[in-house]
Parts: sequence; structure tokens; C-alpha cells
Amino acid sequence: MDTPQDNPPQPQSPAPEPGQPRRLTRSRTDRVLGGVAGGLGRYFGIDPVIVRIAIVALTLLGGTGVLVYLAALLLVPSDPIGSEAPEAIAPGGARTRTLVVVGVLLLLLVSWPLLAPLAFLAVIGIVAWWLASGTTPGGEPREIAKQALLGIGVLIACSAIFVGGFLAAAAGGGALAAGLVIGTGVVLIAGAFLGRIRWFVLPALSLAMAVGLVSAAGIDFDGGVGERHYRPAAASDIDDRYELGAGDLTVDLRDANLPEGDTPLKLQVGMGQVTVLVPDDVCVASRAEIGAGQIEVFDRDSEGADVDWEDTPRAAAGNSRLVIDADVGLGHVQVGHNEVGLDGFGPDQRFGSDGDGIHSSNTGCQGTALSSGADGETTR
Amino acid sequence: MVRRPGSPDTASLVAGLVLVSFGTVLLLDRVEVLDLRFATLAPIACAAVGAILLAMGLFPRDRPR
Repeated sequence: MDTPQDNPPQPQSPAPEPGQPRRLTRSRTDRVLGGVAGGLGRYFGIDPVIVRIAIVALTLLGGTGVLVYLAALLLVPSDPIGSEAPEAIAPGGARTRTLVVVGVLLLLLVSWPLLAPLAFLAVIGIVAWWLASGTTPGGEPREIAKQALLGIGVLIACSAIFVGGFLAAAAGGGALAAGLVIGTGVVLIAGAFLGRIRWFVLPALSLAMAVGLVSAAGIDFDGGVGERHYRPAAASDIDDRYELGAGDLTVDLRDANLPEGDTPLKLQVGMGQVTVLVPDDVCVASRAEIGAGQIEVFDRDSEGADVDWEDTPRAAAGNSRLVIDADVGLGHVQVGHNEVGLDGFGPDQRFGSDGDGIHSSNTGCQGTALSSGADGETTR
Repeated sequence: MVRRPGSPDTASLVAGLVLVSFGTVLLLDRVEVLDLRFATLAPIACAAVGAILLAMGLFPRDRPR
């Protein structure tokens, strides 16, 4: 029968100074990988094996255990060197706490689908707090919860800065926004000498990433925002250029009787959907630069980042040729003969399909000269 | 040992230098000296964020130096 004397001693972190919160640390003496379970077991006064079982169970039930373990490995410091002095735990108290923790873990497992997003948010919040404050999260559970909430608040503020910076840069203030990024860097350099400024790193990075996204995609909101539908009744009604900042642009040329020879069509869209509808007997040559997104010209497509598309077939004798030149920041360009397939659009029902799964093609041309470069995928 | 009075916070200093450099690249793109694309900017952005995280990890504010 076990007696208190028979129980193996369990390593404890040094007793906190009076008035100091108890700190969660990773165990140096009771560890399989990083001492997380050993530290948690010691913190809550339970057998670390139970914590390990819980981590494995969470790993098997969606992989969250790995995420939690890695977060703890990243955020929880190790025991200070030389603090391995063993102290025994009263067996009755340990048993009670073990039962409580097992019960809580069982409840967590049952309600995990609801709690998983909250747990994920809490981990993200703690990481954000760590980045913003520059200090390692720790202390009593209430203190950790407070840090997670503050971190989530920081994330919300940074998201607002990201959206604001994105809109400002795309609306034509790109140079000013880039100047602001430089300014935040200067503030950080000055703050490094003057005082606590680390909290400023995350907002500054959010602004920098937003401006970077606009620059890389070449997004420009000139042309306004919204849904535009153009249906010129004749070739002479076709504008030199169709521009849209963000939204949905449709140019329907099915009623336009295009003349023999080339008819240019320039499209410039910052962000959104571009649709070009052409008559059946018109040959379509297309060139496109897309920062990130997809282009589909009849039964061919390309997608990814930095899409450079060029398909310049010659028109069949007596046919007219539409030469599309599209410049899109983020979005999707579609060229086809009709709108069948737009609803319920899927891999087996491409844009321009005749509805029977047969893809329409560039029927008014003699041949093709497709060339496409993208970090994504091209199919033909 | 705590941070010596007057010595700069290394992580903030690194973050500031990185952001000044990154902002300069963005400015050069906006004035059309450079033509940034995702293939160019993505590695630069990753390196910038990585350098800042590394600096913050190597020089935590609450760790004795």
C-alpha cells in the first residue's frame, strides 16, 4: 500500500517569491520531448502522463494537440537551470486534482468542435501578445487569458490597419503609403533608443504587408467600385479601354458586328471578375497580366500568382479578330461565347460550355500560339 | 543582468531597419524604378518578417542579457 513516503518525489519549480505569480515552465527533469507535459502536470498538480495522453488524444482528434504542443514549446520557458530540487505532492490532493482535470479533459473532448475555434483564437491571441509585448506569456491562468484577449485586440487593430493601408495604397496613395512604411521604421529605430516601442512592430508590419500586396499585384482602384455591364450594339460603340477599380466587369460583344481585321479591347481591373462575351465566329487573341488569380479563355486557363498570358492565334480568312489586352491585379478573367456555366461553375462545367460538358473553343481562328507563365497552373 | 541604461532595444532596432528597407523597395516600385511582382516580393516579405521574428526571439525584452 502506498504511503506518502513511498510516493516518488516530483520535481517542482522553485517556489515563487511572496507576491509573485506562480509561473508555468517546461520541466527539465520530466520530459519526453520538450518538457511541456511535465511542466503542465506540475503546474496543475497532476500526473504528467495524463497530460501526455490528452495531447495525443487531441492530436488524433484533428491534430490540435500538435498545435497546442508547439505553441507551448514556443511560448513557455524552460525551468531555470539548477531549479530541479524535488518536492513531494500530497497524494490525496494530487488524486483529486487528477480527477478534476480528467473530467475537464473529457468535457473538452466532447465539446471540442465548439471549443476548437476558441482555442485556436486563444493561441493566436497569445502569440500576438507575445509579438506585441516582447515578453513571454505566463503567470496565473487568469493572467494568460487576459494576455490572450489583449492579443486578440491587437490582431483586430492590425487587421484594421491592414485593410486601411490596402485601400489607401490601391486608391492611388501607394507612394504615400510606402513613405508611411519607411516612417514607421524610423519611429521604431528612434524608439529602440528612447523606450518601449516593440508594441509598434505588429501595426507597422501590417501596414507594410498591405502596401506590399498592392504593389505586387499591381492593384489600382481607378475606375471606381461596383458592377459594370457593357453591351455595345456596334463595333463603333466599343470603348478604347474599360476600367474598374474593384467589382464585376462584363463586356458583352455578341451584338457588336465586329469588322474584318483586328479590334482592340483593353481591360484594366484592380480587383474582381472580368467577363468578355464574344460572337461565335470571332477569333479571340488575348494577352493578360494578372497579379494573382485565374484566366480562362474558352477551354484554356491559367491560374496562380504573376500570371502572364498570351494566346495570339490568327483569324480564319474573312473573320474578324478581337485582341484583348487585360491588366488585372487580383481576380478572374473569363472569355467565352455565352454565359452558360456561370451558375454552378465547377470543374466539369467550364465557362463557355454548351451545357453538355463540351467546352466551346476559339472557333474563328486558324491556329493558336499559347504562351503562359505563372507560378500556378496552366491547362489547355 | 538587465539591459544597460542607454543601450538600444536590438529587436526594435532590427525591425526598424527592416521596415525602412522594405518601405524603400515599395517606394521604388511606386515611382516605377522597380517592377515588383509576387515572385519578387514574396521572398523579400518572408525574409523581412523572418528577420524581425528572429530578432524578437533572440533578444526578448524580459530576458537578462
